[in-house]
Amino acid sequence: MSEPLARKVLLIGWDAADWKVINPLLDQGLMPTLDDFVNHGVIGNLATLRPVLSPMLWNSIATGKRPDKHGILGFMEPDPQTGGVRPVTSTSRKVKAIWNILTQRGYKTHVLGWFAGHPAEPINGISVSDLFPYAVGPLDKPWPLPPGAVHPENMRDQFAALRMHPAEVGEAAILPWVPRAAEIDQEKDKGLQSFAKILSENCSIHNAATWILQNEPWDFLAVYYNGIDHFCHGFMNYHPPRMEGIPEQRFEIYKDVVNGAYRFHDMMLQTLLDLAGPDTTVIIVSDHGFHSDHLRPRGIPLEPAGPAVQHRQFGIVCMKGDHIKQDERIYGATLLDVTPTILTLFGLPVGEDMDGRVLVQAFEQPPKVARIPSWESEAGECGMHPADLRMDPAAAQAVLQQFVALGYIQPLSEDQEKAVATAVREQQYNLARAYLDSRRYSEALTIFEELTTKWADEARFMQHLAQCYLALGRRAEAKDLLQRLLVLKPKARAAQKPAQAEGEAQAPTELEAAALTETVVSPEAASEENSKPRPWADLLMGIIHFEEGDMDAALASLLKAESADPHLPDLHLRIGETYLRQKRTDDADRAFQHALEIDGDSPEAHLGLAVVRLRQRRNEEAAEQALLAVGLQHFLPLGHFYLGVALARLGHRERSALAFETALSMLPGLMAAHRWLAALYTHPTGDLEKATRHREMFLRMRRQRQTKAPA
Amino acid sequence: MITIVSGLPRSGTSLMMQMLAAGGVPILSDGERVPDADNPRGYCEWERIKKLPQDPVCIAEAEGKAVKVISQLLFALPADREYRIVFMERPLEEVVASQAEMIRRRGTSGAAVPQAALIAGLRAHLNQVNAGLVQRRELLVHRQEYHQVLRDPLGSSENIQSFLGLSLNTQAMARQVDPSLYRNRTQPA
Repeated sequence: MSEPLARKVLLIGWDAADWKVINPLLDQGLMPTLDDFVNHGVIGNLATLRPVLSPMLWNSIATGKRPDKHGILGFMEPDPQTGGVRPVTSTSRKVKAIWNILTQRGYKTHVLGWFAGHPAEPINGISVSDLFPYAVGPLDKPWPLPPGAVHPENMRDQFAALRMHPAEVGEAAILPWVPRAAEIDQEKDKGLQSFAKILSENCSIHNAATWILQNEPWDFLAVYYNGIDHFCHGFMNYHPPRMEGIPEQRFEIYKDVVNGAYRFHDMMLQTLLDLAGPDTTVIIVSDHGFHSDHLRPRGIPLEPAGPAVQHRQFGIVCMKGDHIKQDERIYGATLLDVTPTILTLFGLPVGEDMDGRVLVQAFEQPPKVARIPSWESEAGECGMHPADLRMDPAAAQAVLQQFVALGYIQPLSEDQEKAVATAVREQQYNLARAYLDSRRYSEALTIFEELTTKWADEARFMQHLAQCYLALGRRAEAKDLLQRLLVLKPKARAAQKPAQAEGEAQAPTELEAAALTETVVSPEAASEENSKPRPWADLLMGIIHFEEGDMDAALASLLKAESADPHLPDLHLRIGETYLRQKRTDDADRAFQHALEIDGDSPEAHLGLAVVRLRQRRNEEAAEQALLAVGLQHFLPLGHFYLGVALARLGHRERSALAFETALSMLPGLMAAHRWLAALYTHPTGDLEKATRHREMFLRMRRQRQTKAPA
Repeated sequence: MITIVSGLPRSGTSLMMQMLAAGGVPILSDGERVPDADNPRGYCEWERIKKLPQDPVCIAEAEGKAVKVISQLLFALPADREYRIVFMERPLEEVVASQAEMIRRRGTSGAAVPQAALIAGLRAHLNQVNAGLVQRRELLVHRQEYHQVLRDPLGSSENIQSFLGLSLNTQAMARQVDPSLYRNRTQPA
């Protein structure tokens, strides 16, 4: 065990919090608590994982592992108790969360509201499940907590009394957020009801957290607030600037809700910090961001978890406490890094089977990071539910089928069967996408092939299968699939629900959306769908042409995709790369700038611009762009390479050599880097031995390449 | 208070219902499921209980009586009443063998999985049921081994009387036990 670097750790989860909304509020002095926090700690982007679905992400935050390891694969799972479906549960998580590891090591540990937290786990402290805050009936009727919502069971009444019911949200709470609430016709517009529900649920969680901080001993407390995410799903389309198609009156009514949500979280943060005390290390994270500007989608795909299209790929991380740097920005953090970092704060080893790493860049001095093979094999009571409480969906279905056959329960309804089939299918789809995200293409391929066989008219499965083929170098199969996709009849093409329909102030929450089943497209809509271009397919086709060396065809496909959906992820990067190959530097410049307008934190876009600037002989700007690229993503060998080229041209030999050496440490086969190093070390002040070695490496690689090249 | 006889199908729940009826506990049963080769003395079931998940208030009709509620349906019991549950337990190998025989006679299709997988599934199901019961304050559970009833009918009847806190005719309860009906027995080790 290493030396602990924190006495207590408070982990605060703000679902969907995004610097793009926070920064203007900080500038206006409207989030004073967070402002002070960031001035005394480190901040940064927190890269998310794909698919960007909160239950999967929050469990990756809590375990340091990707979804294929932790087992939470979506919003819903089959419910063996009812034969229907239910929100994902703690019994489905296959590995230890940070609160289990800390329980195992004897720390007083509390967790509140975490995704897939029900039933509450028997940890060494208080566990309040994610089903705790939900009101299930009117205020004047009994409002029992669901069994298993609180551990220990004898604290159930105590915590039940801390809940706030939506009906308790009165004018005083509503008017600061929605000053023109009186103008709302609540028969038609359910916006205020939605508002009250979200506000009360988050107050309930906050009440529980503050009660624990005031009344219980603690070493670690993790509390999750869904407020920002839910307010954004409901009201982001009214956030300034006014989106096209949003009526002015409704815009005026709801335009302050999103900012209000952030300010409310800032107030809650102040209370948490006061109660936690100055000797606590505090970490604030979000699992993803939320599009708040011109990138707000115009429609929500009518598919399970469709509203996730509103999520942005970067969440936030802020960290403050002893041994943590002050007023600094950190780069390259991912949500997988949170648990390894907390373990290091407690002086505990990091599991080698964890996919994240310790955020060493956040510490004043690089911490000593101890390691063990895995926490899963460490013996001791960790406060997880017994393994035999977990039941795989197939076994659950078998038991139900047996009971039906015996005549003891009613056959499952068609709706239940459909809901279960959808939940199982979506879990498989999400697992395959998680494999794709971690570049485990072979595993992903098996699942996508099965999904595509079973649901032959689901375009989204075909798209991902084509992506998979492409990643595995199976271009012909990818091409064949895309050609089929391009002529696919419209039934399964994801229809779009308008981002905001008149009289509807609320997009479905992720959870509600997850419960949606496939919507049948009307003949009119189908006809319209059929005539729509297929930008995804065109993008992938463009990539195939690019890899085949046919730049004209690649550009034609990519520009076709752009005309249909100019906001498609990575599209402008691909266009820029194609222009670069065609030596159309100015066009490439525009394409990479466009990519940065969409995502200002794209390392690939900065890398592309670095190449453009080098071609334009604007070497200082090239170095700046390359530095930005490697700052955003350190493991970017070409970023270091082009930084080296720029620095060499600027005459910074030593720094240039270091950049080339870094590039080679990441990509040893980078032939051009050896050539550059050979030249740099040949200089009178250089190192001739190194120069010789790199020259030999370069020549050997070149010979190998020539030998391999077709005659 | 509502008395509930529960357990897996074919774990001895019908026998327990017959014992309670003989002991003097009013039984909620509609007689819709008639005696057959699997249960020559009848099932003592109430058909409407199958709709408990959709219609939980129907349990009100069992107030002051005993009703059979198989394990799967216990999850659907509403929390606003008091229950005493006699939960029948029988070796899973016997349960599965007996269920297979019953499914064969009914001409229906059971779970399409190997026996070992079905046993594992039922074990996991029971674990979930038990975990759910532990969290319910409004119910008390008496676990009754089916074998124990066969070995010691009177002792078992007295234990149940004590658990329910009722004055029952335990001699009459014990006389309901007919070891000749004990089939699908696993071989002794």
